[in-house]
Amino acid sequence: MTATTTAATPAPATGRPAATGRTVLRLHRAALIVWLVVVAAAAGSLLWAYGPAATDAYAHWRRQCPDDIDACMWDTTINGYYRAVRLPELALSWLCLPVAAWAGAALIGREMENGTAKLAWTQSVSPARWLVGKLAVPAAVLTAGTTVLVLVHRLTFEANPFPVYLYWSERETFVANGTVAVALPLCALALGALTGLLLRRTLPALALGTAVTWAVAYLAAQATPDLWPWKTATASLESEWPTLGTDVLYGDQGMLTDTGSRIPYPTCGDDFAQCMTDHHATAFYADYHPASHFWPLQLIETGILLGVTATAVTTAFWLLRRRTTTGAATFPLPRRKTGAAA
Amino acid sequence: MTDTALEAAALGKRFGRLRRSAGWALRDCSFALPAGRVCAVVGPNGAGKSTLLALAAGLLAPTEGTLSVLGEPVGQARARVGFVAQDKPLYPQLTVAETLRMGGDLNPGRWDARAAERIVAGGDLDPKARVRSLSGGQRTRVALALALGKRPELLLLDEPMADLDPLARHELMGVLMSQAAQHGTTIVMSSHVVAELEDSCDHLLLIGGGRVRLAGEIDALLETHARVSAAADTDLAPHTVVESRTTGRQLTALIRPAAPLPADWRPGTPSLEELVLSYLRNPEAQTTAPGTPAKSPEESAV
Repeated sequence: MTATTTAATPAPATGRPAATGRTVLRLHRAALIVWLVVVAAAAGSLLWAYGPAATDAYAHWRRQCPDDIDACMWDTTINGYYRAVRLPELALSWLCLPVAAWAGAALIGREMENGTAKLAWTQSVSPARWLVGKLAVPAAVLTAGTTVLVLVHRLTFEANPFPVYLYWSERETFVANGTVAVALPLCALALGALTGLLLRRTLPALALGTAVTWAVAYLAAQATPDLWPWKTATASLESEWPTLGTDVLYGDQGMLTDTGSRIPYPTCGDDFAQCMTDHHATAFYADYHPASHFWPLQLIETGILLGVTATAVTTAFWLLRRRTTTGAATFPLPRRKTGAAA
Repeated sequence: MTDTALEAAALGKRFGRLRRSAGWALRDCSFALPAGRVCAVVGPNGAGKSTLLALAAGLLAPTEGTLSVLGEPVGQARARVGFVAQDKPLYPQLTVAETLRMGGDLNPGRWDARAAERIVAGGDLDPKARVRSLSGGQRTRVALALALGKRPELLLLDEPMADLDPLARHELMGVLMSQAAQHGTTIVMSSHVVAELEDSCDHLLLIGGGRVRLAGEIDALLETHARVSAAADTDLAPHTVVESRTTGRQLTALIRPAAPLPADWRPGTPSLEELVLSYLRNPEAQTTAPGTPAKSPEESAV
């Protein structure tokens, strides 16, 4: 109420910018609450795994193999711990899909379909300013939430006492440990908003925004490992296979021939040696990314996602500017003006 | 230049260039609306009234031509223009009070909360009621409060009174007129019910088939037209005939006299509704509008 009474005194138009941010928060209060609940739940789950669950499960687990930790196999006693870590990881990897759906449908598509966007644009806010608010506020909220979750996840990951779980190279763990988890929802937000502006309808924007986001996330994940030079391990025919342990991300694998070229692992019959000779194979090879490639890979994938985000945002603003009159940039259409002004 | 509220030059808007149904909603519109007028935008359904108002509100970019609002390129005068769309879009999840608070947030330095609250209070609306629970008429009231709360210099209303009961219509029309009188607000409202506008408007913009058919001060337009009845074989020659009908031996016509009329034609001043209907029934009638300022080259609108 205080806000309304102060505003009641007619003041000359000042340079005070319109509070689009507050309006966006007011309009999407429900979504904000859902997001806060999700972040709180995921962070709580990770912290529980970091603290009591880890200690408890570890003690339980070691009771089966008190002498040799390498003898410990998969065991149901640590399922609770596993779930408490894996669910937030899954959330960080796939929350981009509901974010895209929300951005396409509730944030933009519904406003275009119901005409409420026009309501906003006929206040003292240009369509471009409106879109800035629509994107900046959710982007800030999403970034804050994912950053907290990544930090908590890293804490849990570093302290993980179990050698059988949580390899850095697993997709969900990889995402949850770095900047990719922050970039994914931002990319989803931009793509959802763009489809909402493009289709101007709630349901189609929800479907297309989600689908495009899934495709982009999938392609970025597929492309990234090849964009940083692989390390290659070779092993002689006698040793059968290059063994690198479980803590690497494997790429292409096969045989090296005597000319140095790579061939896929051949289907061999009983006579392994003859088979190798027939294919001129001299050694096994395996491409891999060691753990030290974690940050280059993270940054490359983040770069791809943020590149897509920037492109989507630029396209969205261009589209909006083309459709509506946003000031001088679109105004000059000089060809027919002279006759009328006379 | 701010003495002109709205000025269009060869304004045109085409929808859906790619679609097969692509067509011009508005074409070759040239007119000037002086500030301080209450202007009726009249025309049949689908004539382009809503498109014109949306262009003026800066919601659409014109395909060709120019439109300036309050002396500025359209879109730059956004803070000084109020707009209520035909379907009265409002955020259904907000309460009435929150909607008005949003008006304050989005119109910094202009918002008159008291005026907006007064309009809402006139409808006996609970400020805590969600917009989605309101009736059509109540929504119109909230939408008008939002538009008037920003104290616009130009108020664009697209079929504003369509879903109001006669009492509310009378009251809100009164609010609008007092706003216009007090602050010199220019009001442009569209309607296809001419009678609704006759008492309150002093300027007319008649749109048909995407073009301006007639534009000018209503009094001047009525003065320059005459309803005549004469014998069926009368030649109306020097005068511009808008519409003529023969029943039996009697000819009745709406004409724009080019010279003094003979007394036996029993000339009379047409009502606004007669004038509008005559033009709408006769799309071929010449659209020269003597009442408009010299700025509008209506003759070029071919």
